[in-house]
Amino acid sequence: MTDTDNPLDAVVIERSFDAPVEQIWQMWTVPEHFQAWYGPTGASIPVAKMDVRVGGTRLICMEMHTPGGPMQMWFAGEYREVVENERLVYTEAISDEHGNPAAPSSTGLPEGHPVTEVRVELDAVDGRTRMTMTHVGIPSGSPGATGWTMALDKLATYVETGPGHER
Amino acid sequence: MAAITIDDDRLDATFAALANSTRRAILARLADGAATVNELAEPFDMQLPAVSKHIKVLERAGLVVRGQQAQYRPCALDPAPLEEISSWAEQYRPVWEARFDRMDDYLHQLRTQTRGEHE
Repeated sequence: MTDTDNPLDAVVIERSFDAPVEQIWQMWTVPEHFQAWYGPTGASIPVAKMDVRVGGTRLICMEMHTPGGPMQMWFAGEYREVVENERLVYTEAISDEHGNPAAPSSTGLPEGHPVTEVRVELDAVDGRTRMTMTHVGIPSGSPGATGWTMALDKLATYVETGPGHER
Repeated sequence: MAAITIDDDRLDATFAALANSTRRAILARLADGAATVNELAEPFDMQLPAVSKHIKVLERAGLVVRGQQAQYRPCALDPAPLEEISSWAEQYRPVWEARFDRMDDYLHQLRTQTRGEHE
């Protein structure tokens, strides 16, 4: 993997599972399975709607148990790439319970707060699965996502070289 | 739960500042070295006050610092807020790691169940 595949604002995790790719694919695309593992500790996933095809939508509800009672957070997104047992790409942003993106005012976030993209790549290795998950933050509604990445790459280089190189 | 020490307001300001192609272009130019407002305005079909306004947004977000040299006050890039964005993304890492641990447990559970059914 080269540095350009790994922009500054991304989390990349590689894991190996003792299960065939078909089963790992179901972990991501069958609501019942997804609900079983996705929720963080102390949270559950009461709703997972998934229309797994390019352009299809997804809506996830995460319910956290707080001392003040249950608190729900909704996430909506769209499937960008669907290659069964190989590659799944979807977007994710905070939304309301109908899947409408939350207005920046209601979340206290400014315009341009990132919609994120999750990419899952599966490789079969001797009946096991090697999975690479990349979670990228990109600015919402930005047609210049490429420009964003390029600018960040350039800035990342600058950060690595360190200040003090100004002319 | 891991302590999150990142200043949300600061991150909001950084993302808001970066969510504009002119401002990203200005930052990319500054990554090559410090420049005056006039130099920064050159590539844009834009009046100086408009460019100054973009620079002020970047300054408020802490991405640009201005020199004190006479009337030129050259602009320079301050990459510190960009490092915070990187850690913003890194906040997700432990969340995902924990999820995949649970996926592993769940897979084991499914396998045990299937074995049970075949007996």
